[in-house]
Amino acid sequence: MYSHDGHDIFVIDGHMHFWDANPENWKTRHGESWIKCFHAFHSGLSPADEVWAFDKFCRYGEEVLVNDLFRSGYVDMAILNSTYLYEFYKNGFNTHLQNSVIKAKHPDRFLLCGSFDPRDEEAGFDAFRRMMAEYPISGLKLYTAEWRGGSRGWRLNDPWASKYLALAQESGVKNIHVHKGPTVYPLSADAFDVRDVDYAATDFPDLNFIVEHVGLPRLDDFCWIATQESNVYAGLSVAMAFVHLRPKYFGEIIANLLFWLGPDKLLFGSDYAIWSPKWLIDKFMAFELPEDIKQEYHVDLTLDTKRKILGENAARLYGIDIPAQSAKLRSDAIAAKRAG
Amino acid sequence: MVRSPLFPECELPSGYDRAAILERLGRVLDPELDEPLLQLGFIRSLEIHDGHVFVTLQLPTSWCAVNFAYMMAEDIRHALLGVEGIGAVSVQLGDHCAAAEIEAAVSAGKPFADAFAGEGGDGLAALRGVFLRKGFLSRQERLLRELREAGCSAAVICSLRIGEVTPEAETFVIRQTGAPQVKGGSAETLRRYLERRAEFGHDLGPNARLIVDPGGKPMPVERLEAYYRDARTVRVSLEANGAFCRAVLAKRRATAGGADVQS
Repeated sequence: MYSHDGHDIFVIDGHMHFWDANPENWKTRHGESWIKCFHAFHSGLSPADEVWAFDKFCRYGEEVLVNDLFRSGYVDMAILNSTYLYEFYKNGFNTHLQNSVIKAKHPDRFLLCGSFDPRDEEAGFDAFRRMMAEYPISGLKLYTAEWRGGSRGWRLNDPWASKYLALAQESGVKNIHVHKGPTVYPLSADAFDVRDVDYAATDFPDLNFIVEHVGLPRLDDFCWIATQESNVYAGLSVAMAFVHLRPKYFGEIIANLLFWLGPDKLLFGSDYAIWSPKWLIDKFMAFELPEDIKQEYHVDLTLDTKRKILGENAARLYGIDIPAQSAKLRSDAIAAKRAG
Repeated sequence: MVRSPLFPECELPSGYDRAAILERLGRVLDPELDEPLLQLGFIRSLEIHDGHVFVTLQLPTSWCAVNFAYMMAEDIRHALLGVEGIGAVSVQLGDHCAAAEIEAAVSAGKPFADAFAGEGGDGLAALRGVFLRKGFLSRQERLLRELREAGCSAAVICSLRIGEVTPEAETFVIRQTGAPQVKGGSAETLRRYLERRAEFGHDLGPNARLIVDPGGKPMPVERLEAYYRDARTVRVSLEANGAFCRAVLAKRRATAGGADVQS
């Protein structure tokens, strides 16, 4: 809980990870270069005193995570964005199997994302149904650029992806987080091209599509889609990190999102452990849109808007009643230890 | 190796046209960011041995997109092969995840689609087109912003002819018949915008309109505001992305230590 002038702000970290990138888990050299790339994002955009050594970054463990999010980091609830990467990591990077362990210990603190891979085609339907039945899955995290054998990715408008989305909807899933962010490995076109979201959002009007990293570096394409589709939302991780090193661009990105999408469709995310919620939220709460930007875009980042971004919007999508959930969290193990 | 303010550490053996090398290399862009590689600091070194140039391209991470990395390497090769006395160009990508494949393909002049056929590779022409257009909008947004800041109304902006806008030292000046002379904005902003229009094959004669859409069509006054808002978002996307890449690369250089090519 973040406290501002005596008023509590309920915080949901919409995008975080509990990964295992220990060298023992690296399957190929890509396991090493992948986590090094994340570490470069981490050290390139974090404040100097928040930068971790590479070893800690590979595997920070449960206690560090709980502390960084819920004790020092103001976070009330966090969405585990499962990422698999079985081609790079022997046991996966942070699968729903790995993530469910920490979810089981703190059930009211986490929302767990599962996933599907349309390249499994029909053979994967049973596994998907089993995952939905056996794990407390609240949403899905889709990673369209994931490697698989000779394939270097897939698209949300692939016919099999539509079948899985229909299956997800039948299973009661409402929220689909789609990673569309800094380009990693491409198809020839552009693996993080956001336009496939447009088709899926039109075909599945009852599902919500949260585009993680607001499509950066495809912010423009993302904005056009989100303007047309009422069920497309902006996940702010990566964009949040600009608040420290490049506040000018942070202001311009936020102004564009407020201009095109409005204040009800933006969701805070840290991308922990790439960046940490404590400093992101401290700097975000202290940040004000510069006067010239306010006037040019006719938008403002008011306290109400910040409250929506930090928690209320995600709570609405996930059906969380903030007063009831806050009461529940006040007496859980993490709160007890924090108070003690 | 080459010496210049952008490229301080390299010295070339005698017999090569240093100015031509720098000028050509200076025109190679990161297609996704629409910024020159030299200014981004992505060119780490350049050496020539017996007419064979070796360029080290260091991108912010080893996972930077393979298709864009390929385009940059290919563009460097084409740019430098046009310089007299240079018979071969090798672009080295260091620890990039696809360094070996890109280096081999580019050195052999092999198209991306052939080199990465097994990886879902396809031609890059369409992707290049998309980003040239985004670059156009981004460059034009800066010009439109400066024209607005100079006090030009939408009607004036849409009526301007190329011949009415003249670079003078660091700025440009607007002279329309029957109107007082107006100080416009940065000459560099104007130059970059017209440069992209030339690449698009637009009419750049003195009577041609200054502000046109990417297809070269004049801008109706009533459309300008919405068009400008769209272009503004494109510009923010490109610039923010560039800032991200620079921050990551700067940290990588600082961590690696040693002398670097500064932008």
